Amino acid sequence: MEEADEMVTPGEVLGRATDLKAGKGAYAASHNNTIYASLTGFRRIQAPPPASHDKRPTVEVTGHKAHGPVPEPGSVVIARVTKVMARTVSADIMCVGPKSVREKFTGIIRQQDVRATEIDKVDMHLSFRPGDIVRAVVLSLGDARAYYLSTAKNELGVVSAESSAGATMVPISWTEMQCPLTGQIELRKVAKVVN
Amino acid sequence: MENKQSSSPASFVDSTVVPGDVVLDLSSMTNQTIKLGGGLRQDCDAISATKAGTLRFSKPNKYWIESSQKRYVPCVEDTILGIVVDSKADNFLIDIKGPAMGFLPVLAFEGGTRRNIPKFEVGTLLYLRVVKANFGMNPELSCTDASGKAAEFGPLKDGYMFETSTGLLRKLLSSPACPVLEALGKKLSFEIAVGLNGRVWVNAASPDTIVVVANAIMNSECLSGAQQIIMVDHLLKNIQ
Repeated sequence: MEEADEMVTPGEVLGRATDLKAGKGAYAASHNNTIYASLTGFRRIQAPPPASHDKRPTVEVTGHKAHGPVPEPGSVVIARVTKVMARTVSADIMCVGPKSVREKFTGIIRQQDVRATEIDKVDMHLSFRPGDIVRAVVLSLGDARAYYLSTAKNELGVVSAESSAGATMVPISWTEMQCPLTGQIELRKVAKVVN
Repeated sequence: MENKQSSSPASFVDSTVVPGDVVLDLSSMTNQTIKLGGGLRQDCDAISATKAGTLRFSKPNKYWIESSQKRYVPCVEDTILGIVVDSKADNFLIDIKGPAMGFLPVLAFEGGTRRNIPKFEVGTLLYLRVVKANFGMNPELSCTDASGKAAEFGPLKDGYMFETSTGLLRKLLSSPACPVLEALGKKLSFEIAVGLNGRVWVNAASPDTIVVVANAIMNSECLSGAQQIIMVDHLLKNIQ
């Protein structure tokens, strides 16, 4: 790996499409056959894999904190619930797949995306509480404020929650979790943990 | 540490407790289901108080802490007086003297449809019922009773609204009738709405009557029943 990588910013020319292939953080503009950077970071060139027909090395822009994992539609994320409202729940996305994110992303779970059956009878307060850790799947990029998440599958939902007495609760069914200290049962939309 | 509790839990009932006092020991009361009301919290086998007040017990198995506060914590099925602060597409934002604004859905009126949504100005006083009051969420309110009828809920016109503590309000609403209200009602005619969130609204034909009623209620907080009647007689003598 080269040490003296230069720092590039979005819009800088990285090379020509005839010499290089665009990798992560770079794109090829078709009208003048040049490769431009689309992210900030260090410019790195990787040798082409020997078995491919294309002999061009790949140029990529990496090494900046903005290059942490980003939620994409269809990816499974772990989020912490921040606010429960009448028809939506806000959550802070903490991990995308197995990796933790490096900047803050917000997600929203709507009433109709909490579960797959009887979606108009969902009570948000009986499905999530502030502080719960949930596993959800990203439905779409949503609006400017938040991604849209969904927990409408058996393996999605609350993974870990704290009871009002302060202890981590044990799931006992797909709708109930029990506190080990007081024995009280609280209602959540529980994720089915498959080992 | 010296064990101050005697063996029966009745020792703490009707006496003043402060937060942290262990008022009940569950290990000495097996095979009983007890119901804990406000101000009590369970820590494994000990029930401790989280509010300062008097511990009350009602047969067969209900315990709760009674105290008088200025703050209001919303509970389901409370009737309260709220003031309109803002109106949004789906609901009105109502100030209920609690930790969060209450939401009054625009359709929560008798015969309410999208076509006849009431228009409330900012500052309108409403008599409302709490439908949902979950911790961390804004409470949901309604202008109908549980069966959908209007039943006196809705905007209150004219009159005078003042704020009191929650303990005084519960005394005003207790049955048999509170001595202050009975004594006032014998000589004066007035209309009164009591909100459990610390607000009382009084309306009468003349402003003098309204002021007398309001002052009598505010003064009666620390007086016993007989003292309240004497106080009301004094007040009424002065205006007649």
